[in-house]
Amino acid sequence: MKRHRFKSLLAFGLVMSVVACSDDYLKEVPVGSLSADNVFSSVTGFEGALVSLHEHSRDELAGDDLYRYFDMNTGTDIATGAQQFEDYETYLTQFTPASERTWDWVYSSLLRTSNFIIANAERADLAHIWANEEQKNAIIAEAKFFRAYGHNILATLYGGVPIISEVYSAPKTDFIRSSRQQVYEFVADDLEFASAWLPLTVSAANEGRIVKAAADHLLAEVYISLGRYDDAVQAASNVINSGLYRLMSERFGVNKDKPGDVFADLFAEGNLNRSSGNLESIYVWQYEERTPGGQGTRGGNQLVRGWLPFIQQLRDPSGSSGMVLADTVHRGVGAIRPSTYFLYDLWRDNWDNDIRNSQYNIRRTYYYNNPASSYFGQVANFYVPSDTMQVIYPGLIKVEGKPFFGDVGSGRTAKDFIVYRLAETYLLRAEAYLRKGDLDNAALDINTVRMRANAKPINASDVDIDYILDERARELIAEEPRRRTLMRMGMLVERVKKYNMKEKTRNSITEKHNLYPIPQKAIDANFSATLEQNPGYN
Amino acid sequence: MIGDKLKQLDNVVIPVFLTHLKKAGSFLICFLYCFSYSLMAQTVSISGTVINATGERIEGVSVVLKGTSQATRTGFSGEFELQIRENQTDTLSFSHLGYASQEIVLKGRKLPLTVVLEAKQGTLEEIIVIGYGEQTKRNVTGAISKVEMADTENLPNMNIGEAIRGRVAGVQFTSSGAAGQNGSILIRGPRSLSASNEPLIVLDGVFFNGGLLDINPNDIQSMEILKDASAAAIYGSRAANGVILITSKKGSSEKPRIALNTYHGFSQPSYLIKLLTPERYIKKNLDARGILGLEADPSKIEDYLAVNEAENYRLGKTIDPWKEATQPGRMNSIDLSISARSARTNYYISGSFIKEQGILLNNQHERISFRTNLETSITSWLKTGVNATYIKRDGSGVLPDLGGLVGASPYGTWYREDGSVPQYAVEAENGSAHPLWNAALSSNRVFAHNIFANFFTIIEAPFLKGLSYRVNYSPNVRFLPNYSYRRQDPYLTSNLSFARKINTNSYDWVLENILTFKRQLNVNHYVDLTLMQGRNHRENETTSANSNQLVTDVLGWNNLGLGTTLTNTSGGDKTDGVSYMFRTNYNFKKRYLATFTVRRDGSSVFAENNKYATFPSGSLAWIISDETFLSDSRILDLLKIRLSYGAVGNQAIRPYQSISVLGTTRYVFSDGGASSLGFFPNNMGNSDLKWETTYAANLGLDFELLKGRVGGTVELYNMDTKDLLVTRSLPTMTGYASVWTNLGQINNKGIEITLNTINVRKQKFEWRTNFTFSANRNKIVHLYGSDTDGDGKEDDDLGNRWFIGQPITTYFDYVQDGIYQVDDEIPSGFVPGDVRLKDLNDNGIIDADDRTIIGHGGQPKYRWGISNDLVYGPVTLSVFVNAMQGWISNLDLLIPPGDNRQMNFLDYGWWTPENRSNVRPSTLYKNRFGHKFYLSRDFVRIQDVTLSYNVPNLILEKIRVSNMRVSLSGKNLYTFTDWVGQDPESGSVDRTSLYPMPRTITLGLNMSF
Repeated sequence: MKRHRFKSLLAFGLVMSVVACSDDYLKEVPVGSLSADNVFSSVTGFEGALVSLHEHSRDELAGDDLYRYFDMNTGTDIATGAQQFEDYETYLTQFTPASERTWDWVYSSLLRTSNFIIANAERADLAHIWANEEQKNAIIAEAKFFRAYGHNILATLYGGVPIISEVYSAPKTDFIRSSRQQVYEFVADDLEFASAWLPLTVSAANEGRIVKAAADHLLAEVYISLGRYDDAVQAASNVINSGLYRLMSERFGVNKDKPGDVFADLFAEGNLNRSSGNLESIYVWQYEERTPGGQGTRGGNQLVRGWLPFIQQLRDPSGSSGMVLADTVHRGVGAIRPSTYFLYDLWRDNWDNDIRNSQYNIRRTYYYNNPASSYFGQVANFYVPSDTMQVIYPGLIKVEGKPFFGDVGSGRTAKDFIVYRLAETYLLRAEAYLRKGDLDNAALDINTVRMRANAKPINASDVDIDYILDERARELIAEEPRRRTLMRMGMLVERVKKYNMKEKTRNSITEKHNLYPIPQKAIDANFSATLEQNPGYN
Repeated sequence: MIGDKLKQLDNVVIPVFLTHLKKAGSFLICFLYCFSYSLMAQTVSISGTVINATGERIEGVSVVLKGTSQATRTGFSGEFELQIRENQTDTLSFSHLGYASQEIVLKGRKLPLTVVLEAKQGTLEEIIVIGYGEQTKRNVTGAISKVEMADTENLPNMNIGEAIRGRVAGVQFTSSGAAGQNGSILIRGPRSLSASNEPLIVLDGVFFNGGLLDINPNDIQSMEILKDASAAAIYGSRAANGVILITSKKGSSEKPRIALNTYHGFSQPSYLIKLLTPERYIKKNLDARGILGLEADPSKIEDYLAVNEAENYRLGKTIDPWKEATQPGRMNSIDLSISARSARTNYYISGSFIKEQGILLNNQHERISFRTNLETSITSWLKTGVNATYIKRDGSGVLPDLGGLVGASPYGTWYREDGSVPQYAVEAENGSAHPLWNAALSSNRVFAHNIFANFFTIIEAPFLKGLSYRVNYSPNVRFLPNYSYRRQDPYLTSNLSFARKINTNSYDWVLENILTFKRQLNVNHYVDLTLMQGRNHRENETTSANSNQLVTDVLGWNNLGLGTTLTNTSGGDKTDGVSYMFRTNYNFKKRYLATFTVRRDGSSVFAENNKYATFPSGSLAWIISDETFLSDSRILDLLKIRLSYGAVGNQAIRPYQSISVLGTTRYVFSDGGASSLGFFPNNMGNSDLKWETTYAANLGLDFELLKGRVGGTVELYNMDTKDLLVTRSLPTMTGYASVWTNLGQINNKGIEITLNTINVRKQKFEWRTNFTFSANRNKIVHLYGSDTDGDGKEDDDLGNRWFIGQPITTYFDYVQDGIYQVDDEIPSGFVPGDVRLKDLNDNGIIDADDRTIIGHGGQPKYRWGISNDLVYGPVTLSVFVNAMQGWISNLDLLIPPGDNRQMNFLDYGWWTPENRSNVRPSTLYKNRFGHKFYLSRDFVRIQDVTLSYNVPNLILEKIRVSNMRVSLSGKNLYTFTDWVGQDPESGSVDRTSLYPMPRTITLGLNMSF
């Protein structure tokens, strides 16, 4: 009986002890996610992290609906917004999303990830993974390019902002604004490093990656912002004289043998990357229709939706539907309508000769294409009550491409987008020359761009800042973020009052709008220090 | 015969036992003799019948062998049977709600017993399930509310949460009203800011990780809701939000009982948000054009509408979107169970099938469930069993797009002539997707399989009376296939077909060792000890495979390889926990009671050095009415006072929050290039993340007066929650939107009152009322402890809208002060019809400093429910009213569209120069301040009305049925409220969750053989 008792006690104890545990049991190792430790154990991991910076950057256009990117063009001198920036007083306040979209995007993607890469690349305990200093610095250079790219956007829009140069691992609520000058200087520092270590070119398979010329191009702009005009000329010249780029002057690429002109070739789908023969493009956002990662958050490039007229709503003179969507009749919604200034005034003296105003680049004639309309095949007049501000107006062919997934109703394409192009480098250098008083060289650079377009050359005496803005509009509309160009020059308010087509827009813009308001959300969240609001925003 | 045996025991065992005890005086010897005694003892079966004073048999009477955990309940015909080990002091205790308990000493009694219970006097002997055990209500020291499922078995409750709604003070249940929704339960208000506030569900003693719908309410005997720290602390880290203990049914009589429960009903929307009618839609267009200064000639309206709208207008074709997107609701449920207990074995087997057709098109839900509860005694000291259930739910059905529905023009084209659905109802107006387009082209399969079992073995230690050991092993496997397919729309030139398979598998287990010791030491001292050690594990894995532009429709989601672009994602996580618990219950003279609990938990979700935490609690109770000075009271039957204090924790966060992990993205370099994978930091890891702890004090008073005619409970509580687990919004400059962190302190204070009265009790007529009331005040005591502005007060966190001294959900916004009228002096930049905001600081402009705290929401200040049962003979009428008051919420549906697009919206009126509303702005109002519009969420709802008829015994005997009841019930019959959103209780504010609450009428039948 005793033995029996002993056995039952033993069994009892065993059951209890079987489940006793060690602390390893509670150690947490993610089973479905990677951490910095396992990714940054090789150079490949750093290359992977850089990939996400490219995605973040493209997200200015691909990560939002008709706002973040389009806000950079609506309500300016070149274009009017259907809703966006129609009324500055209601559209852009510290409480409205307009003030937050760019702020949030830059801080929570470009700056976060670039600092993450830079901080890890500089870790002493990872020194062994690098083959040499060049390899490491090339990685840091590309990350610094994007850190500069982001800070430059912020400084241009908001003025002085908090500079972010580290990775935060704990909450921080006491950010303070640096001056705009300090931000630009920080940007210049990053870009100088980037320019020193980025490659001159990348292989065809890596097109879209950042090259030295991209850093130099942006440096030219930032030096202008800093008033360092000689440095700006030098930075632009580094691109222009590199021997790698030239303004395209002959037909090339996919439409080479079709009617058209070389300016149209620059933007034909398939022609945007360097390997297609386009030796003007420096930095290009990449889109692909079917490959995962080629579309961005919103699924494609939405330029056609934003820029083109809401032609689908066009009625024929009898009041019936005059248009149906088709391969070449995109679903624009007329969110951005180019202004009379751009569509007519800018071409006045070169209407027929400037190829940038050719039928291959601006679509000024539409034909009713609805088979059910009795006006089928006839020219669509700008018929009232069809709204010529939104439903029918001349469209920019440079934004067009093949409908995304063949869906004519999508308002999207999978066409790449040129961020930096040599023509702009010339115009940046022209601006730098102008600002330092060298009108002859400014005119030379402008004329280089104009001659390619078959426009009449100008005299040095014609060059002023307005002329540069006119030329930028002719050459770069729908490429440059026009608002930022105007804001960095301090010309936004003046030009909007002069050229915007809507009375409400002209009347609602005031001096304060040369800067964006700091989002109230950011001020509220930063409760341990004061983020000063920009003047005029209550 | 048993009497003889008992006598024999008396004569032989006791003297021997006592002699040895005296002689040795040693504890060890005591063990030995207990052991030898138990080996000698034999199992006998005690059976009997319980009736009331008028001779009617009483079902559900709890029968307990005193001083042990052996217990049963009377069956349908009042019969019971209990296997006991013979003992000299065997006493059976009989208790039932509304009856005086009785104790019967078995010695010398003839079997089968006939026990007569007297009506009333208290419910003290009712059995209450507590964590890891049971107690009589008398001995309970914590705040525990019991819900007898019998009270709601006539109601068509598919979800156990519905049985709680409004019936338990301080407990709230909300659901969207859609068929197949789990809903959520809130006990004593939200404590946590952003971790889960859902209570822990413990099914038959084991953590249950499935949804509320994964439990068949008809399989449930009762639910106990543990509200205070003392009761809940036994579940330590998981108990912060309260605990719901669910006990499934067992066999209760030797004769197998077959029970059938079925109901059939129909439902319709109880309320639909009001959209613009065709006439109002036309008026909206004209009004907006007028304000915009455009031509607004009613005779030219066709020019102002979209082309196909104009055509429909001409033809007089209008659409009522709600009519097109809803369907008649139906529900059918059948539930069959068989249960019995024999000498050694107790079983309950059930199967149920329920099919519900929701009121929104394609909404349906089907549930099949099986349960087997089996328990058998192998020897007198060894018992083993299993409680197992399998549930399959089918929630397939692609619902209309409600966001699109709200925006749908009444002049849109919903169907082509061939009946097909266009992608957009208004040509070229893509702002409002056709609410039915996706539903018309898509199909899906959304299943949930859930297998949950608890295998247990109980050893009554043969050597020490009152010592028992229980081991639970409880695996839970959940498999959730979610497949969907959208076929090609033949009217579109591009192929938009899309197929996806998402498979989610979860595997959890719990292993627990529980040691209990219960002993009435002598007449005055009773002690009950519980020790528990356990481990738990959860793991999930998900695989999602997607395919688009499939070459053919015929295979649906079954062959994703037919697509053009294929993508896969997958993920997984694991959580582990370790627990130790000790509890002691002690009572002195049966009226001075004390409980002390301590639990220590470890969880993997916390940071390296903060895995473990300890949660102690204690409680005291005094049954004042048992004191001699009150025992003669003719008015007071029961007065019990309870006091508890303790700590409970919260670990309800997803795994890996203490670690910074990487997100992935993709990019494609070059034209036609390969897809490159990108990494980026996805979250700010918090390497200090630790448990959230709530310290709660509870003062409770239980009372019964006038022979059970009036009874109730009052609870007062004060809870301080420290180290709150929160997702704290961060300034985006940090790179992150938010981080999981511990911070500050939240206080909840409240009162809960439950009152049961029998207002009238006559021969055939009885009127009973049950009233519950609760009030909860919630405020933030501390946040980060910082004072950066040096004003001597702790900083508020304006970014998160958290203010010291204010409730968690505080609305901080501008104060609206009417509408600018045409003749008013209007500041530049504003137009008539804009909202006028108050310039609180009188500086002449509206700026960020004019924002202030304008109200509170999240939870009501008061909740109350009142149910009245009117019984006349076999007929019972029950009316249950539920209410919540004292809260506001923003309602985003009230924000004007701000433009004049061809879209619909909530019709709550608008300003025009003619209709000079001073409340509603014009439809073109552009909200430059981003302020919101607020409404009261107060409501009073006639929640349930039931009329039931118990078929009299005379008839039952003829048809050989032991019980039969027919009932007609209405659910959610009417709501009194000013809220114009979909439902004030669920409180959805925007277009995304507008499922209409159903009003349901059902006819039910319960019968048993």
